[in-house]
Amino acid sequence: MTRLLGFLPLLLALAVLSAAFPLALREVTLRSDIADFLPQSRTPEAAFLLRELRDGAATRLLIAGVEGAPAAELAQVSRSMAETLRGSGLFAVVANGVPLLSDAEIDLLFAHRYALSPTTTPNAFTEAALRASFETQLDGLRSSAERIFRRFGFADPTGSFLGLVRGWSSASRVTTENGVWMAAGPRALILAETRAAGLDITAQQTAVDAFRHAFQTAGPPEGARLLVSGPGVFAAEAAAAVRADVKLVSTLSFVLVAAFLLWRYRSPMMLAVVAVPLALGTLAGLLVVDLTFGHVHGAALGFGMTMLGVSDDYPILLVTNRAPGEALRDTARRIWPTLRLAVAAAVAGLVPMLASGFPGLAQLGLFAATGLAVSALATRFLLPALLRAEGLPVRPLPERAAHLLLRLPSLRVPVLAGLVLVAVALALSGGPRLARDIAELSPVPEPVRMLDGELRAQIGAPDVRVLLSVEGPNAEAALRASEQAAAALLAAGVVTGVDHPARYLPSIETQRARLALLPDDATLAARVEAARTDLPFRATAFQPFLTGVAEARGLPPLTPGGLVEAPLLAARLSPLLREEGGRWRALLLPEGVGDPTALRAAAAGVPGLMLVDIKGETEALLDQGIGTALRWGAVGGVLVLLLLGAGRGVAGALRIALSLAGALLLTFAALHALGERITVFHLTAALLLAGVGMDYALFVSRTGREDIEDAARALGAVITCMITTLLTFGLLALCRTPVLHATGLTVCIGVASAFLLACTLAPRR
Amino acid sequence: MKRRVVLTACLLLPVAARAQDAMAPVMAALAARRTSRATFVEEKELQELDRPLTARGVLVWRAPDRLEKLTTEPFEERLLVEGDRLLLERPDRGIRQEIDFDTAPEVRPLVEAVRATHAGDAATLRRHFRVEFSGALPHWRLLLVPLSNRVLAAVQRITLEGEGGAIRLMEIHGRDGHSRMVVTPTP
Repeated sequence: MTRLLGFLPLLLALAVLSAAFPLALREVTLRSDIADFLPQSRTPEAAFLLRELRDGAATRLLIAGVEGAPAAELAQVSRSMAETLRGSGLFAVVANGVPLLSDAEIDLLFAHRYALSPTTTPNAFTEAALRASFETQLDGLRSSAERIFRRFGFADPTGSFLGLVRGWSSASRVTTENGVWMAAGPRALILAETRAAGLDITAQQTAVDAFRHAFQTAGPPEGARLLVSGPGVFAAEAAAAVRADVKLVSTLSFVLVAAFLLWRYRSPMMLAVVAVPLALGTLAGLLVVDLTFGHVHGAALGFGMTMLGVSDDYPILLVTNRAPGEALRDTARRIWPTLRLAVAAAVAGLVPMLASGFPGLAQLGLFAATGLAVSALATRFLLPALLRAEGLPVRPLPERAAHLLLRLPSLRVPVLAGLVLVAVALALSGGPRLARDIAELSPVPEPVRMLDGELRAQIGAPDVRVLLSVEGPNAEAALRASEQAAAALLAAGVVTGVDHPARYLPSIETQRARLALLPDDATLAARVEAARTDLPFRATAFQPFLTGVAEARGLPPLTPGGLVEAPLLAARLSPLLREEGGRWRALLLPEGVGDPTALRAAAAGVPGLMLVDIKGETEALLDQGIGTALRWGAVGGVLVLLLLGAGRGVAGALRIALSLAGALLLTFAALHALGERITVFHLTAALLLAGVGMDYALFVSRTGREDIEDAARALGAVITCMITTLLTFGLLALCRTPVLHATGLTVCIGVASAFLLACTLAPRR
Repeated sequence: MKRRVVLTACLLLPVAARAQDAMAPVMAALAARRTSRATFVEEKELQELDRPLTARGVLVWRAPDRLEKLTTEPFEERLLVEGDRLLLERPDRGIRQEIDFDTAPEVRPLVEAVRATHAGDAATLRRHFRVEFSGALPHWRLLLVPLSNRVLAAVQRITLEGEGGAIRLMEIHGRDGHSRMVVTPTP
């Protein structure tokens, strides 16, 4: 009971901290924008790409497949689902292959047919052309499809309206069966664009739920399955995968760490001792980052917590290094120079990240640096005050193991030779491979990504590798520029087609030019009269045509603002034309690109036309990102070296640097041998590893003047640190989620080699 | 007991029931023919034209729901209705068009007028039309008035005449035209 009372201040501090967390989280704005983790772009192409990644139409696209039943039944489900989804109001577009022109939209488009349709050419209204049109109309009336010809043909014998609508549907490459999109399998396909942004995870999740609900409501036949893919699903799957992994691993590692600390310190209180500085550091990091940036990035928090793992070691070092009879306060004072040097070096290593230019990386650096400094201060000043003077009892390590480790320095020469060999081997094999595919960074499980790729391919969502874009001060300018660019690319023969906004809504200029091609009333009437000679049409038969042309000439041009009555047209237009900060951007999607180089050359010849090679640009961004991180890491390394030199002299600094560099070398060599590709997660874990590795080296060879018992205690403390770190992070290596696996594996290999190297390179005694 | 129910039913049935009674054997006779083949001559009179358009060809029926209209004059054309789908082919123009009734609801009644009559399916006819029957098995006449206003805007009424289980005449009266198809069964 008295023992417990002795821990009262500690437990109280822990209670206060755990109460402070929810409060802090309420104040702090958490964000999860992947673009924060890409370098700030200098080129307009990169800026464009980042915007696309952040809120492009593609990020709002959900694709669903329904399979596992005969096509006719799937079609039924597809229709019912589409109806439910449209009714939900969550989606700007829901498409399943059924053409959806409402009567109001037909009326509007029909009235504007001559301005909108590419069939309005000078030749379309000559007497000869009209004669041919009338013969086609007569032929149509003879056929069984006579009703369609009756409905449109007399007002539109030149087929402007049908040409217009047909031109739209040719953009879709999906086969239609039973009236809906149906891929092989059979699998009915539904495509929807959410109104909410792709990064609004909650809204995306709601959208996915709406799909599942619609599927259930449709009364699916026995065996039918719903497959959904899109950012919402990705987010959910990623979160679920990470959560499941983390839950298992953290439970397991908590149990193991607790058991280990309980064995080593004979008291469960050691967990609380470790928790206090860590919690304080996290809290401080959160608040400082939020104050500096106005928000905290979720990933910065996640990675930052990994790096704060270093601070677990501080309380362990404090408690374990206490000599018999020494007051904990005095131990803190005694080890402070070493601890201070370790923290200062770690912070020095992180500071360059602040200048890296990635907002995400800067946050990460600030978070970890603040957290480490605060944890160290808490260990130095707060813990001794919270704990009794005798600290916690420490169980000695098995003597033989300690002696073995203390004799490691005699193996220095062979170990160094080994390191050189490994370095040569790594260099000969081409060095660690970097992951360049952004997908490899994704925590989304592989099968989910494969399903997405498959659905996208089936629905004919263009695998957009190359995007073209033009800008203008207003919608009209952007539309005109896209018309000119599309015409230039087609004329150059570098593409077989171009999907662009003016294909659906021509510029005002084009609309006016087309209307100007229409003959005046009298001329047209005379030509119609001449063209119907010998044909069985009555004189009044084509009166609707004459009236329609006259009316079309008087209509004001359609503009993006005037499409309320034309939702389908608006839906086609919206992904391709949008307002961005007062300017308008048009996107052009090339089709049938045979020679990308020729396309690039042709695009360069069109003023204002920007070509973005999505894959290349993304890879360049990632390369640039990793390159920047490495450069600033090197700067940090130099700073660390300088600090260590100041604290330990040149020889001491080199010894520590060598054990650190050796550990990093062994880690990356091992990762390479295991076939791992280096991602940003490996690099973050390597930072953690560098941090703890430095602590080990510093504490194993504190001054070089300690007696053997002191050295044994220091060794014991470092071993404890290592085992805790291994138990905390090492288990992550067993996870399948890339981020967790990479972190775990790197830490596992790295920490073990850092420890052994620190022991080997410690001064001989 | 059973007798009394029948008696009550007879008393309560409206006069129109007698027409129903007369229609039943016709529908039964139609339904009994699982397959049939007939030639047709179709004349369309349209408001916009000063003379009728004539087409000739063959009608092929196969129960329960497959009806094919093969036009041979003035050009070759194939119109096939089966299940919930309509297929229109014009080989000379390379046209092949498929329509699903669910996506074109106004087409279905016009198809069912002919197909459900071939099938002897009175229930389907009544789902889309107000049905008036006159005559008797040797020579009968069905008058169909669309129930849907949308359809009614284009087609005011359809009449079918027949002898026994064979359809002999189909007429469609529209707002701006009318078509008449004379059907001659072939053995």
